[in-house]
Amino acid sequence: MNIQITQSPLSDAEKTTLSKVGYVAESERAATVVIADQEVRHISINDDQVEILPIAEALKKYVWVQELYFGLIDVNEAEEVQHLARSADTPVGHFIRVKAGAKLEQPIQSFCLLETPQVRQVLHNITVIEEGAQASVISGSSVADGVHTGQHTCLCETYLRERARCESLSIEQWAKDVDVMSYDRADVAKSAHCSSNKVMVSPVRNHCSRTSTTVGEDATAKDQSIVFAPQGTTRMMEGEIHLRGERAHAESLTRMVTAGGTIGNNAMLVGEADDTEGFLGCDGLKLTSDGEILSVPALRALSEKSQLSHEASVGMVSEEKLAYLESLGLTEDSANELIVQGFLNLKEQEMPAPVRETVKDMISAAKSGSM
Amino acid sequence: MSDNILKIRDLDVFAGETQVLRDVDLTIHPGEVHILLGPNGSGKSSLLQAIMGVPPFRVTKGDIRLNGRSICDLTPDQRAALGFGMAYQKPPEIDGVTLTALAHVMRADATFATEAAALDMADFAQREVNVGFSGGEIKRWEVLKLFLQNPQFLLFDEPESGVDLEHIAAVGAAIERLARSRTANGAKRAALVITHTGFILDYVKADTAHMMVDGRIIATGDPKEMFEQVKSNGYHAA
Repeated sequence: MNIQITQSPLSDAEKTTLSKVGYVAESERAATVVIADQEVRHISINDDQVEILPIAEALKKYVWVQELYFGLIDVNEAEEVQHLARSADTPVGHFIRVKAGAKLEQPIQSFCLLETPQVRQVLHNITVIEEGAQASVISGSSVADGVHTGQHTCLCETYLRERARCESLSIEQWAKDVDVMSYDRADVAKSAHCSSNKVMVSPVRNHCSRTSTTVGEDATAKDQSIVFAPQGTTRMMEGEIHLRGERAHAESLTRMVTAGGTIGNNAMLVGEADDTEGFLGCDGLKLTSDGEILSVPALRALSEKSQLSHEASVGMVSEEKLAYLESLGLTEDSANELIVQGFLNLKEQEMPAPVRETVKDMISAAKSGSM
Repeated sequence: MSDNILKIRDLDVFAGETQVLRDVDLTIHPGEVHILLGPNGSGKSSLLQAIMGVPPFRVTKGDIRLNGRSICDLTPDQRAALGFGMAYQKPPEIDGVTLTALAHVMRADATFATEAAALDMADFAQREVNVGFSGGEIKRWEVLKLFLQNPQFLLFDEPESGVDLEHIAAVGAAIERLARSRTANGAKRAALVITHTGFILDYVKADTAHMMVDGRIIATGDPKEMFEQVKSNGYHAA
């Protein structure tokens, strides 16, 4: 085992904080990268089929990385993006590369952390899973103990090359006065497979996310997001999936719960090529009379041989289900919580056990207003 | 302590603006199993749900008592805590909640492990509650659920309907075993079972039968005799 440490070792406090969003001992991970505030704090590599560098170093080391930088994100997409693209500051972020043909036995873990109150963290990350490589990535976002204010802006560009496979799990645990803006782009090349799970259940002041995935010939992209908005939290999500290559396939499921917060979800599936198939599922649950869910699934077919469908629902917790569980002896609160957790589909096989417990705790705490 | 577990007196029940039960009187003693017969829409399921406190049923007259205590003002979980448990006829699906997870919340992990095998449901541990279950699987789960809950008074709403012949013996035997067993406190149980087909009577030794028509109990008597009478004369008092 060859563990290579760059930058600083993590403190015990940092490890404890990050363990709630997926961090485990680095000997059990192919590689680890942690960005704290505005620096790449820690990188360790446990598998030489993985390369991780601060993005600034990667841009210098590899000419081709310059082609990937703003390769998927349009610099004119938003004023904020324009500003970042033109900034003279050294960019901060990570570059993760899984080498061609690699079959990683352990996941890569990647984290960002706000350690200073009111800090503004601006990141630009690039991930490349090369031809035929297989990897899983667990990423988490959190704040240090006592920090509940700050800003996090992140531009993420992910490239899955031909026949690559990547499964990812992303868990965020920001704080109630943190503002988050994220731009995620992914290019899933021919015959590649991408599966992504996102958990966004802790309080945050505003989280705006814009995601776009392009799916190539014979490629598949599946994503599942669970979203929770307690009082004081606003989450606005805009997502697009473009089925660009023939026989491309995509499935996107979003489960949203508001306990007084606001959730907006605009999801669009675009069938651009022949024999493509896609499904959008957007379901919302409203726990109180406060708050709002706006769910707008949209389908756009450019090919007559594209098969697209969607399902959407928004409603309160079913009185019938509550009564069923109450008649088993569960209190109304316990029954409600079980229904919400079930709705958010926290399946054991899709989430590491410590993270699953954290998510359950987040939902309980957020509903009770203690977070 | 009263010597009857369940005593219903002069009960009227409404579902919304519609009256579904009228002047119902029913007494069930410890250790007894009673069955309830009646045509579709006669109010049998409404009676069980009114006893359990399930919406939209509300008592407008009379009383329901368990061991001498009136329960009409209690919520379903409070009634469950006092000792009621109900196997539903058409239970809702609980998406994302596995049988194992529900058993865990009910603190009945060990009971699930033993009783699931008896009802041929060991392979269902990771299935979501009632999601994609066949009619028979639902009934087996609803009976298994009562083992986990361990109530003193058992309510079964058509436990044999939809169950295939291969499993009906197991369901019937499980109901009989549960009804004749004692609670953790050593108390005798009692049960009220709705049946349309009467198949369950081959496995469950019922003490008394009641016939319900138009929201009223119109006859009470020996279960097998009453079933024979229904088969020959329909749902009419002798």
